[in-house]
Amino acid sequence: MSTPLCVFLPGPHEGVGVVRMQDAAGKNAMTERFVHELVAAFRAAEAWAPLRVLVLQGLPDMFSTGAHVGMLRDLVGGRVAPSDILLPKVVFDCPVPVVAAMEGHAIGGGLALGLCADMVVIARESRYGATFMNMGFTPGMGMTRLLTHVLSPALAHELLFTGELKRGSFFEGKSGFNAILPRVAVLPAALDLAARVADKPRVSLEMLKRTLSLPRRRAFEETHTIESLMHRVSFASPEVLARIEDVHAE
Amino acid sequence: MTREQVMTVVVKHLAEAVDGLDPANIDASRSMKDLGANSLDIVEVVSSSMRELKIKIPRSELAKLTNLDGLVDLLFRTVQESQTQAKAP
Repeated sequence: MSTPLCVFLPGPHEGVGVVRMQDAAGKNAMTERFVHELVAAFRAAEAWAPLRVLVLQGLPDMFSTGAHVGMLRDLVGGRVAPSDILLPKVVFDCPVPVVAAMEGHAIGGGLALGLCADMVVIARESRYGATFMNMGFTPGMGMTRLLTHVLSPALAHELLFTGELKRGSFFEGKSGFNAILPRVAVLPAALDLAARVADKPRVSLEMLKRTLSLPRRRAFEETHTIESLMHRVSFASPEVLARIEDVHAE
Repeated sequence: MTREQVMTVVVKHLAEAVDGLDPANIDASRSMKDLGANSLDIVEVVSSSMRELKIKIPRSELAKLTNLDGLVDLLFRTVQESQTQAKAP
């Protein structure tokens, strides 16, 4: 049996669960199997009775590289509808608060996934960016709105338009991330933050999570509709597939 | 533009990308990885350098490079080619 790409594990503190994305060979890129296993890990976490807070963890050097090149080819070829990618809802729909421990790089949809969390810790030396436009197509996975959860609209627009990958240290003093720390300190800080939340009653945590996430849930629904329309247009451009292949050339 | 000027551009972006790297002490016979850059630092150094030099090189060409000298050679050659094309009637 092959090693799972994503797993649920009870965390080191009471009431804290951990969903770990651990596909080292695939750099936590979102393939069909990866998405299926990530959803399953969230379901396993939600079924764990002691759960009060969930920490979403990637690999030490790679949180997630976003959509796998194969999935991008399928999107461009019309074999997968853009609306099929609904990972953000898995995080939004998690009944308890989610803390993203983004030790490693987070690119495109990988960054979007982390930004769906209620609290986000990133690393100084890792890179974060919305690289969609580098491949010639408009952002997806709610990214046109998610970035403003942690950045000013102006800075969010800079990342969306340029597609640049910024080091975590770039965001120090000009962002709303919960913490920007050396890579080795990210997971302990995220687990500590989770532990400080996990001693509250589950029923109250659930209500507060639903309330605080409501503006982003609404924004995601609205954004998802618009982003899907933009994708139908931008994926049809003949330049896009060539750019995707160039960006993913080994 | 000279090769030295291309090297200055690359070293500037490399020093911006890697904490604690002294531009005066960069050994161009080493790879950017050896000099402390991670895979995405390298992507950004190359992208920023190409943007500043106003050239574009396919990633497949860049993937063959093994050290900083090789990158500078390729960038310099591409700059020269683009200047030659610009001058052509």
